[in-house]
Amino acid sequence: MRSGALPPGVPPHSARCRVGLALGAVLALSTALTGCVRVYQPLSGLHRVVVVDPQASNFSDLGLRVHCLPGELLGPEEAGVLCDRVGTLFENQGARVSTTITGRPDEQPELAAVSFTQPPPQLTLELRARQVHTSRHPLSWLLCIGTFTLVPGVTESTFAQDVVIKDGSGFLLATESLQGRLVQRFGVGSWVGNKLLDWIWRDDADKLTGDVAQRDLSADLYRQLSQLVFNAKLQRQVLLEEAAVIPASALPLHPEPVN
Amino acid sequence: MEWVFLISLALTPFVSPADPSPGLLRSKTSSRSLDCERVSAETGRQRRPGWIFPSRPRGDFVERSAVICAEQLMRPGLRSARDEAILSQLDQHARELAGMAQALRPDLQGRTWLVETYYPSVPVASKISFATKAALVGQGLRVSDRTPTLGAGDVEVITRMAPQEAYPAACQRYLATGGLGQDDALLAVVSRDPRETILHAGLCTRGQWTWLQ
Repeated sequence: MRSGALPPGVPPHSARCRVGLALGAVLALSTALTGCVRVYQPLSGLHRVVVVDPQASNFSDLGLRVHCLPGELLGPEEAGVLCDRVGTLFENQGARVSTTITGRPDEQPELAAVSFTQPPPQLTLELRARQVHTSRHPLSWLLCIGTFTLVPGVTESTFAQDVVIKDGSGFLLATESLQGRLVQRFGVGSWVGNKLLDWIWRDDADKLTGDVAQRDLSADLYRQLSQLVFNAKLQRQVLLEEAAVIPASALPLHPEPVN
Repeated sequence: MEWVFLISLALTPFVSPADPSPGLLRSKTSSRSLDCERVSAETGRQRRPGWIFPSRPRGDFVERSAVICAEQLMRPGLRSARDEAILSQLDQHARELAGMAQALRPDLQGRTWLVETYYPSVPVASKISFATKAALVGQGLRVSDRTPTLGAGDVEVITRMAPQEAYPAACQRYLATGGLGQDDALLAVVSRDPRETILHAGLCTRGQWTWLQ
């Protein structure tokens, strides 16, 4: 073999350059076009059918206290934002709303937050959020790297919004856990594919990119909260009617003090 | 490098599980037609034996969880929203009402139970009645298919009354006209507002009306 000749099976220098340039171009394109697509999927409770119209005046005769409790998924600031938005939701439907943010369910709201000119709230809506499950799908990330992000790397989490509704005396009227799932797909294949489909094929209601996930989640949550509070309001009315019928002599006596 | 790329592509269908969330291959509408629930691997194995496997008793360094989905029986929009909301949870509503009736009035265990449903749609009302009767039978109570009736004059007067007066008045008239006997207990399932998605229950025994829920 002459010195300087290539061993058999090795492509010549120009071919190797072309392959290297092609791979570099693919890598650069993948990096430039890669992005995240975050999708929202409602689980139990969040996609239940709702009858009440959140745009109508459903609570014109209702005093409502919205109580947000910070926790693992909800920091104090986020709890404040949630309370403000939920409060606005019910004010738009005619309710008189007061909001409180405390650390524990039995913690009393500050006196400064209580208005002495308004009657006490007839219903209390307690909101908590917690993480049910989270995972990163390590195999999908390996494939993501191996295919230059053509196959997306997937991260998902399942959250629960716990809702408790009580009447003015603390009697429990309704309790519900609204669960949803957020799936985040990272990669050029997922981002470009969904973007193209959004532009070319999908209707407005079916689009996935942008802040669609947050908007859909908010819409579902507010609808379900409106329906739950409306049901609790009617439940309270029924119980009040029944209490008005029971004579005082039939009510249990206070227990005798123990000496 | 290209072999890594090709092998990764070839392995993708076997590594990626079928995901019910919206994406390239599943529209948002199609995803919303599924009723999905996140459960533990053990619960998933009980509901879907052979499909979901829990961790080994000694552990296998993998945390498992499952999302179980079932396709909705009725296409969205086929029924009115109110009917859909009631019927999609009818089993749960019926069991709650029957359980509450027995728990709050254990003294009526030996009575013959009748069920009357006040709902605007007759087909839905009959389904609610049937489900409630089945739930009462499941509680071990004696249930009759007989429907108490009122005269035309009574109906005309009662329908003009406010709801909080109408139901107690109807209960008294059932006893007076013989529609309900001394040993009968009528469980009335009522929908009081077109915007609500729950059912209320009232009990009529010997001319006395009581709201249970």
